[in-house]
Amino acid sequence: MGDLEEEYDYTKIPPTGSVEGIAAGAPEDSPRIGVYVCHCGINIKMVVDVGDVTRYAASLPNVVVARHYIFMCSDPGQDLIRKDLAEGRVNRVIVASCSPRMHEPTFRKTCSDSGLNPFYYEMANIREHCSWPHGDFHKEATEKAKELVRSAVARSALLEPLEEKLVDVKPEVLVIGGGVTGMYAALDIANGGYKVHLVEKKPSIGGHVAQLSRTFPTLERAASLLTPRMIEVGAHPNIDLMTYSEVEEIGGYIGNFDVKVKRKPRYIDTEKCKDCEKCVAACPVTDVPDEFNEGLSTRSAIYIPFPFAVPPVYTVDAEHCLLLKEGKCGDATLDGVKEGKEAPPCLEACPGAIDFGQKEEIEELTVGTVIVATGYDIVEPTVSAEYKYGVYPNVITALEFERLTSPSGPTGGKIVVNGKEPKDVVFISCVGSRNKQVGNEYCSRVCCMYIAKQAHQVKEQLPDANVIVTFQDVRAFGKGFEEFYGDVKKEGVFYMRGLPGEIYKKPGRDRVVVRGENTLLGEPYEQEADLVVLGVGLAPNKGVESIISMLKLSTSVDGFLMEAHPKLRPVDTATDGIFIAGCCASPKDITDSIAQGKATASGSLLYLVQGRAVIEPAISQINEEICIGCARCVDVCPYGALELDEVRHVMTVNEAVCKGCGGCNSVCPSGAATMKHYRDRQVYAQIEALTEITDVGMLAELESAAAAVAAEASAGATDTGSETGEGEGTETEAVPSAG
Amino acid sequence: MGTLYEDMVACGGEIFGDEHIETLRECVQCGKCTASCPSGRNTALRTRKLFQMALTDMREEIFNSPELWFCSTCYTCYERCPKGVKTTDLIRTMRNLAAKEGHMSVPHRMIGVYVMKTGHAVPLGPAQKELRKAVGLDEMAPTAQKYKDQLEQVQTIFRTTGYDAMIDFDWDTMNLKGMDKGGKK
Repeated sequence: MGDLEEEYDYTKIPPTGSVEGIAAGAPEDSPRIGVYVCHCGINIKMVVDVGDVTRYAASLPNVVVARHYIFMCSDPGQDLIRKDLAEGRVNRVIVASCSPRMHEPTFRKTCSDSGLNPFYYEMANIREHCSWPHGDFHKEATEKAKELVRSAVARSALLEPLEEKLVDVKPEVLVIGGGVTGMYAALDIANGGYKVHLVEKKPSIGGHVAQLSRTFPTLERAASLLTPRMIEVGAHPNIDLMTYSEVEEIGGYIGNFDVKVKRKPRYIDTEKCKDCEKCVAACPVTDVPDEFNEGLSTRSAIYIPFPFAVPPVYTVDAEHCLLLKEGKCGDATLDGVKEGKEAPPCLEACPGAIDFGQKEEIEELTVGTVIVATGYDIVEPTVSAEYKYGVYPNVITALEFERLTSPSGPTGGKIVVNGKEPKDVVFISCVGSRNKQVGNEYCSRVCCMYIAKQAHQVKEQLPDANVIVTFQDVRAFGKGFEEFYGDVKKEGVFYMRGLPGEIYKKPGRDRVVVRGENTLLGEPYEQEADLVVLGVGLAPNKGVESIISMLKLSTSVDGFLMEAHPKLRPVDTATDGIFIAGCCASPKDITDSIAQGKATASGSLLYLVQGRAVIEPAISQINEEICIGCARCVDVCPYGALELDEVRHVMTVNEAVCKGCGGCNSVCPSGAATMKHYRDRQVYAQIEALTEITDVGMLAELESAAAAVAAEASAGATDTGSETGEGEGTETEAVPSAG
Repeated sequence: MGTLYEDMVACGGEIFGDEHIETLRECVQCGKCTASCPSGRNTALRTRKLFQMALTDMREEIFNSPELWFCSTCYTCYERCPKGVKTTDLIRTMRNLAAKEGHMSVPHRMIGVYVMKTGHAVPLGPAQKELRKAVGLDEMAPTAQKYKDQLEQVQTIFRTTGYDAMIDFDWDTMNLKGMDKGGKK
């Protein structure tokens, strides 16, 4: 290909040019196509001969003008189209440039602004499908670009105008998850004047942030940051707070999602509960691991998760309550209690708020948009078994450390291990993150900084403690992070490079030994420690699979929810009206989670404020004249958009639900189901134009290449054949000699 | 001869597959291999350092360093490497290349001598023989160490593959060339 490359010199192509098409004199009511070939700077031009493609486009049927320009998406580029439309020169527009995902909306708008139905716009992708992948093949890429343009021209002549439809948007929003992300999303929408239903699985909102002692890098108390917001959420007239509840069913479409929420019984009348704590003292169960304290302490079966919980009411834990689990508590039986004849200790102590007669309730809602903010779980620290989490009490997770240093925690904020203040504390980074062996290749983003903060907390409380942070890289990328990291080191926290290999305990010792290598010295060490804190990473919340499947959300390979575009649409999903925010999408800190929560509020408000949403018009259409009502399309439709009209015995399409995937079109035995904008005749014309080979020289080349491939394949087959032949030969020889 | 990395992919790729050896480039020098290394605790072996040297093409330095031979191939680092670098197999590949180019540690060559003489890398010694006798077994196990004809087959393999030349084996003294029977120079 070397000689061809030398022939092609893209620097000689001028920034713009135009050629009059063969259909220049065609009547006004016939298709009059304008083809606009984009250089994309040099992205397309340095591979594809755009001048040649333009000349070729002008020679195609129905083309009245072909132009090329350095950046078609720029204002002057769009002006070329606007001018041709204003002068009545063209009535169909094709831009040969990038992917429709990039600029189809841009050029559709250019057309509609100039009075042309936007569905008369067609795109030929000569960048992602041509110049980028075929960078070394100028001649072939130019030929392919011509074919793509030819195909677009064939389709363009057959396009039909379509009208975009609008649906009303119910002015209410469902937010799933009451952590800091969901709270901020809910608050913005509620303060914007719209109703929000905030569903939280646990008895209180606040999420993981409520468990934290302080935040990095400002060292503010997490509780003092969060509590005012929690109270605001709890008291907001526009927020319908549904704690201890789960989304059971969800269906519908943008503007009209139908939701069923399961409200688990708390066995407490939330209106009457005065948060007096008398029930707790009465409850005979005292050994339930306290999940808010990460199991570092225990609680009773009737409990409030933490002192500043919202709503500030108690909950009976049905899994551990003797009366609910075993039917008997003290002398009282469940039946007796329900009849009002007997009372367990809690009921006797309570001034009238406990109600064991409560039942699970299903609440039905209709909302305009849905925000998913289901958060994260920490990675199980046992995935790195060599660190002996669960074996030695000296080894704890960073979340346990948060509880240990929190004033509301089991030690009132004192750092103690086995009842003693630790003298040597080792932090280990990247536990369960950046680790292929445990299946989490990603960086969890927050660990470096929470470790720096926690190391500071040890130094602050125990200035004489020897604090070592082991690490492979320190990622201090946020605002004020690098400065904070520097400050922590100045306080005397020693950062030692290299991930420890293992932790063990010498017989008869309380302390553990951390074994590692200081990689900067190249020296192995054994460091005794009273406390080892594992910098555990963040993983997708495990309990939300049903929500993912009900909403048909996609997940990326790491298990986090997938956004519509990783850069340009970080909180949108593939489905209009469904947004994702916070750690369910990827690990992030409080700042970024709040930013995303607010972004989803903004995305939702766009629909709520307008009160309506545009429905994609390129969807399925049933020709009722031919439809036999066989309902085969119902089986393949992933969105449940098709329904049989029992009276007329034909299929009907719910236009708001249909996404235009084309499944019904392909299974329909009578040809009644077709796709608007992708009619069979439009698609077939496109395929025919693509497969029509005009360059005779290239046809010969293709044929000889195909022949060579076939010859190679048959040669391979012969090789195998001869091997088999030998084997058979030996056998046939053997037979006569035996005979 | 290409770069050491290329040669490792060519040589180790034949045994383990190219992708296996290409994991060398994924090493982030986190030090978990050296931190887990039972040999490195007592020797100068720094597994991650060998990989850094390999990637900077320090061929002669690696091949002439005794540390290359200190790995006991216990595979602990292999199991713990967060990046899935095939640590132990990379070391084995480097050893293969070193041996082909005439660098092989004397203790490793001596193991070759044992195999040559007894058919075993770890032959039965007086203590094991005593133990076998004590529990009522034949002093010698029924292996190449006992049967001369089987041992000759092992020796034939070594002659045919050129392993004897690789470790500089002297068939007259049944030892490494330039060494007495006790293995000393």
